[in-house]
Amino acid sequence: MKSLHVEGDTFLHRLPPGVKLAALAAVSLLLFLLHSPLLLAVAAITALVFYAMLRLGWHNSWQRMRMILLTIILICAFTLVINSPMDAAAVFFRLVALTLFAATITATTSTGDFIEIVTKAARPLEKTGLVRASDIGLAIGLVIRFVPEVLGRYQAIRDAHHARGLKPKALTLAVPLIILTLRNADEIAAAIDARGIRGQK
Amino acid sequence: MDIRFEQAEARFEGRTVLHPLTLSLCERRIGVIGLNGSGKTTFARMINGLVLPAAGRVTVNGFETSKDGDQVRALAGFIFQNPQNQIVLPILKEDIALGLSTRNLPKAEKEAAVSGILARFGIGHLTDRRVHELSGGELQLAALASVLVTKPDILIMDEPTNQLDLRNRALVERTIHNLDENIIVISHDLDLIAGFDRVLLFHEGRLAADGLPAETMTRYREIAA
Repeated sequence: MKSLHVEGDTFLHRLPPGVKLAALAAVSLLLFLLHSPLLLAVAAITALVFYAMLRLGWHNSWQRMRMILLTIILICAFTLVINSPMDAAAVFFRLVALTLFAATITATTSTGDFIEIVTKAARPLEKTGLVRASDIGLAIGLVIRFVPEVLGRYQAIRDAHHARGLKPKALTLAVPLIILTLRNADEIAAAIDARGIRGQK
Repeated sequence: MDIRFEQAEARFEGRTVLHPLTLSLCERRIGVIGLNGSGKTTFARMINGLVLPAAGRVTVNGFETSKDGDQVRALAGFIFQNPQNQIVLPILKEDIALGLSTRNLPKAEKEAAVSGILARFGIGHLTDRRVHELSGGELQLAALASVLVTKPDILIMDEPTNQLDLRNRALVERTIHNLDENIIVISHDLDLIAGFDRVLLFHEGRLAADGLPAETMTRYREIAA
């Protein structure tokens, strides 16, 4: 069980979670309004400076970011094929900046703080009678908590393939991963019910 | 503690896993034993309301599990076989505090409750630790703390020493013996429940024996032979 949160005492750790999430939302909007690759490159470098403040080291950073970077490269390659190189560059720098800003906020905000702020933000939605704010907060907290868990399970299944001399294939990796994740989700849901975390129904 | 099963039956996908059962439980320490698949976990889950009766009813201190789920769960805490699944958040203190999230307590009171329960189980020094860094014994104690912080009247434990080495098993057993709460323990570890007030034996979805530990365990050994 690993966490995306990184212990630390940087000014980013000390900032209120609400301020960080609001800033991330504003920056994300701004990044989509910008189209100049140069300006977007500046934004990506700025995001890199913030991320570097976490002092995670190259190896740890690579482990955390490699999948999303691969996805960004694929999107850029697709953009390059159907649009211009300038468009591909803009997409690359925009997505890298977004990813690094979001990763920095995730790493400097505890899951408990995430749940609290999301619950508060969702409180007005309770007036519709369709949702409970605490459920939304808990759901987002669980996503943050279990992303590394699912990645760990994927690695364990891949290792099991190697241990048996089998070549990992998309299907033989995906099926056990989905089954194990769903089974685990059932058990976590039972634990949440047993502990009365969701409260009155 | 006043738990009553009144012709309560459990079925999964048309198959009866616990045949109609009528009994009442009021002793402070109750053990539950039986072979794998005998229905003992289903029985325990019915007390907490995680499994609702397909027929009959189950009440805990007067509250019916199928109608008063929240009250029942507040009265009867449940420790799962795998404590990893009990812990929902990655940092120990955050997870313990999560159990109090529906109680609208002031922050200071919540923090005091969290540090108090961790100190009670001798794991106060682990408060800021990530759950994945804890040993098996520490994880089991953390699971106990996560449930007992809400002060349930009854604590149900499903094979609490199952995955532990000898040292951690001794640690958890000592802790269980020192608990003040009413406890119901499902276990294959007969030493753990040897000194309990009452032991229930389940076999093939039925209550096969019910009484003092020595006589129930004798019957269990006969069945298992």
